[in-house]
Amino acid sequence: MSTGPYNYSYIFKYIIIGDMGVGKSCLLHQFTEKKFMADCPHTIGVEFGTRIIEVSGQKIKLQIWDTAGQERFRAVTRSYYRGAAGALMVYDITRRSTYNHLSSWLTDTRNLTNPSTVIFLIGNKCDLEGQRDVTYEEASKFAEENGLLFVEASAKTGDNVEEAFLETAKKIYQSIQDGRLDLNAAESGVQHKPSQPGRNNLSNDQQANKDNCAC
Amino acid sequence: MADVLTETVLPEDLKKFEQIYHGQLYKNDVTPKAQFDYAFCLVRSKYPADIQKGIALLEDLYRTNEEGQRDYLYYLAIGTARLKEYSKALGYVRSFLSIEPGNQQVMSLEQTIKKKMEKEGLMGMAVAGGVLVAVGAIVGVGMAISKSK
Repeated sequence: MSTGPYNYSYIFKYIIIGDMGVGKSCLLHQFTEKKFMADCPHTIGVEFGTRIIEVSGQKIKLQIWDTAGQERFRAVTRSYYRGAAGALMVYDITRRSTYNHLSSWLTDTRNLTNPSTVIFLIGNKCDLEGQRDVTYEEASKFAEENGLLFVEASAKTGDNVEEAFLETAKKIYQSIQDGRLDLNAAESGVQHKPSQPGRNNLSNDQQANKDNCAC
Repeated sequence: MADVLTETVLPEDLKKFEQIYHGQLYKNDVTPKAQFDYAFCLVRSKYPADIQKGIALLEDLYRTNEEGQRDYLYYLAIGTARLKEYSKALGYVRSFLSIEPGNQQVMSLEQTIKKKMEKEGLMGMAVAGGVLVAVGAIVGVGMAISKSK
């Protein structure tokens, strides 16, 4: 089997949500592949991506569920909110309607995740300054009023994409350190892998097998 | 927490969409959406019987509803892969890619399926099986020759 000792000590679950066509999959792709997908078809149901990052010297594996933005998937993709440690809520700065729908996305997120879930608001497509339809100040105020982290980013140029994913992880890690996030709670969206490389290989394998059987 | 082939539906979700579907079925007026939502949950169940049922519902949608073909193909691939019917699953992936070449989501599913096959040693077994047949054939021929002498 290819499962040796884990090379990360935590798994964080993220979801990416927001209206159709705001660039959720492109943000994910930019983050995991460092490439821009120019021609991005509509996501079917949910897409999945991972990347290992480092926060305060700890390796963390991000498991990212990128949900379809099309309305017809909204009912079924809600189940992915459960147990998310981080939620990236995306709108398109060139399309006001995608911004206006944020309160509905936020309501869903608050209802379906837990109080410790970190919500990060991303105004995507900030490379298209000429077509801007939502000002930075307005969105920033919305974020502040609702206790969200906020950044304008561009999946095309890569501006602030890395930052959004990493800042979310830092905030989650901080919650763990402060004891605000209970690692033992099933819905925390965080798994701890207390393994030291070269030791506890047996328990690692057992853990890995457990993961495989989808329980 | 896993990937698209191992994550499972929440029992309450399955129940919720089952009720909607059955409610419509009772009135003999099932919408493609209710059927898809229910199938979407079924193919992500941990019970093979549920997955089978989900596949049947998706096959029916694929035949009767032109609109959501790409959704149905994608989840048919997921359902069959979860039942370890990998060649079928890869067949759906290929059909999808012939309509929409270069779709990143589907290409990534293809990779996940192939990785899973590798992990389960199916690639290896196929090769080993081939070798066994070949050895058997050689032994058989050898025996036939020695007998004929």
